[in-house]
Amino acid sequence: MRSQNRVAIALVVIAGVLMLVPMLWVLALSLKSNAALMVDTNSVFDGVFTLENYAAILGDGQVFRWIGNSLIVSLGMTAGVLALSSLAGYGFARLEFPGRNILFVIVLLGLAVPEQAVIIARHQLFSWAGWHNTYPALIIPGLAAPFGVFLMTQYFRAIPKELDEAAMLDSASRFTVFWKVLLPLTIPAQATLGIFTFLSAWNDYWWPLISATNKQMFTLTVGIASTQMNFAQTEGLGFLMAQAVFAGAPILIVYLFFQKYIVQAVAGAAGR
Amino acid sequence: MAGVTLTGVSKRFGGVAVIRNLSLDIAAREFVVFLGPSGCGKSTLLRMIAGLETVDEGEIRIGDRRVDTLPPGERGVAMVFQHYALYPHMTIRDNMAFGLRNIGTAADEIAARVEAAAQSLEIGHLLDRKPGQLSGGQRQRVAIARAIVKQPELFLFDEPLSNLDAALRVRTRLELAQLHQRLGTTMIFVTHDQVEAMTLADRIVVLNDGRVEQVGTPMDIYLRPASLFVATFVGSPTINLLPGKVSDAGGATLVTLADGTKLQTAVSMAGLAPGDTTIGLRAEHVRVAEGGAVEARARVVERLGERTLVHVELADGSPLVAEDAGISQARAGDTVRLAINAAAAHLFDADGRGHHAAG
Repeated sequence: MRSQNRVAIALVVIAGVLMLVPMLWVLALSLKSNAALMVDTNSVFDGVFTLENYAAILGDGQVFRWIGNSLIVSLGMTAGVLALSSLAGYGFARLEFPGRNILFVIVLLGLAVPEQAVIIARHQLFSWAGWHNTYPALIIPGLAAPFGVFLMTQYFRAIPKELDEAAMLDSASRFTVFWKVLLPLTIPAQATLGIFTFLSAWNDYWWPLISATNKQMFTLTVGIASTQMNFAQTEGLGFLMAQAVFAGAPILIVYLFFQKYIVQAVAGAAGR
Repeated sequence: MAGVTLTGVSKRFGGVAVIRNLSLDIAAREFVVFLGPSGCGKSTLLRMIAGLETVDEGEIRIGDRRVDTLPPGERGVAMVFQHYALYPHMTIRDNMAFGLRNIGTAADEIAARVEAAAQSLEIGHLLDRKPGQLSGGQRQRVAIARAIVKQPELFLFDEPLSNLDAALRVRTRLELAQLHQRLGTTMIFVTHDQVEAMTLADRIVVLNDGRVEQVGTPMDIYLRPASLFVATFVGSPTINLLPGKVSDAGGATLVTLADGTKLQTAVSMAGLAPGDTTIGLRAEHVRVAEGGAVEARARVVERLGERTLVHVELADGSPLVAEDAGISQARAGDTVRLAINAAAAHLFDADGRGHHAAG
């Protein structure tokens, strides 16, 4: 048993190192001057490093605007998804109304519709509304979150109904039951959903690229991509790598803070 | 304190009638136990009184208020659930205060009432903990304290002891009896455990298939079961039931068993038709005795300490449970003689109705 454990741990360590190497390579390249990398990427091993690529990113004042945009969009989308999914989940789990099961199936079918299939219609809709290059245009499409509704519905269903009943006998209104009794019990699910929503909103590239044409409304992913010139890989490799590190850093920070919930979420998803 | 009146109450789940036209009066300050097997409708009936299930027909009154149209929080009742239903994210103090906050009770009064209830149930030291940090017994006490703090007109208990271990169940049962004496509040307690029913109740309501089989004091139910169902459901070991023929022997009611044994009972023939009957004999009325009139073979001997239960087989193969002294000589396989106290026998007619000796 013990030797089996050792083998498993060794395999995990090897897999971890294999995944870490490309990231370390990106980080190392980002700390080299573009000129040195143009000559040979093996110059990484000469021990001479520089922060000039990061200085170049920060020197462009628009980066901070794009970080702000990304934060507004990601946090807005996260808050919206949590609010809507919780309310919908409570409704599907606890309220009796005609057509509830059919409606739930329709929501689930939303999981099967790829974004690509609706992007033109969505673009036209927002053009007609004149919303492109606004925060609502970047946030609202992400609020339709079938996975969130599904997750919260299942979570509410798992909470014993006796708690609702005890609260009703304690003279609580339906909203009080939802707000003060049930919602606090869904915090683990909210954390999971919130983290995944934030990460996917932060990393989203396609819709912001289509909707935001004004540089002032770029999110970080679109903004950084826009600074790349042709042949960036040969002329500005260090700068390119620094951009990648810069864009990924917030994700790393989120992961470090919410590691416990992410692991729980993945383990929970695997267990179900 | 308020009594409870149920008049013609019915409840259906889909096509299944769970409570059928049930009427019942519960006096103020009374401790009433709803007793019955799983699925008899006892918990549904309790939940209807609480307002957690709607009433399809009939009406429910608590005191002189009709409550079946009121939401649970306006009925003046408090309930202790089988699985306690404590709010896991709140401290015990907040669990107890939650109901009072919802009706706008002043903060200082809430604090005073929580303290008083906590003291009375000896959970003062647990107030700042959360339910997950408590043992099953402690959670049970908190659930009761949460009910007490509301000072309700009526307490409802839905099998609250079923999750406790045997020793704790006995202790909590005693404490509930003391609580009722102290508070003097009307209490309705649901259980399928006849020992809980017998020890706690002022009156027991025996339910079967959505109907009241019998309402009476514990000893009434035990000594004068209204039906075959009540006789078999109440009492441990289960009452012995033997088929026989009833006849009138000059004023006395005579029962002839299948093996020919004749038993003269104290039951009046009034209301009984000669012919087939079922005779019911509690184990304590069938004693293992050397001079006994009936011969039987011992199959299993259960030594319980203060008494011994001897499972025997009569000559015609009918099974019977007899009682012997704590220190019994009987062994499985022995031939034993039984002394039957037929004067204590119950007779059940073809419809299952019970007939008993007068008095």
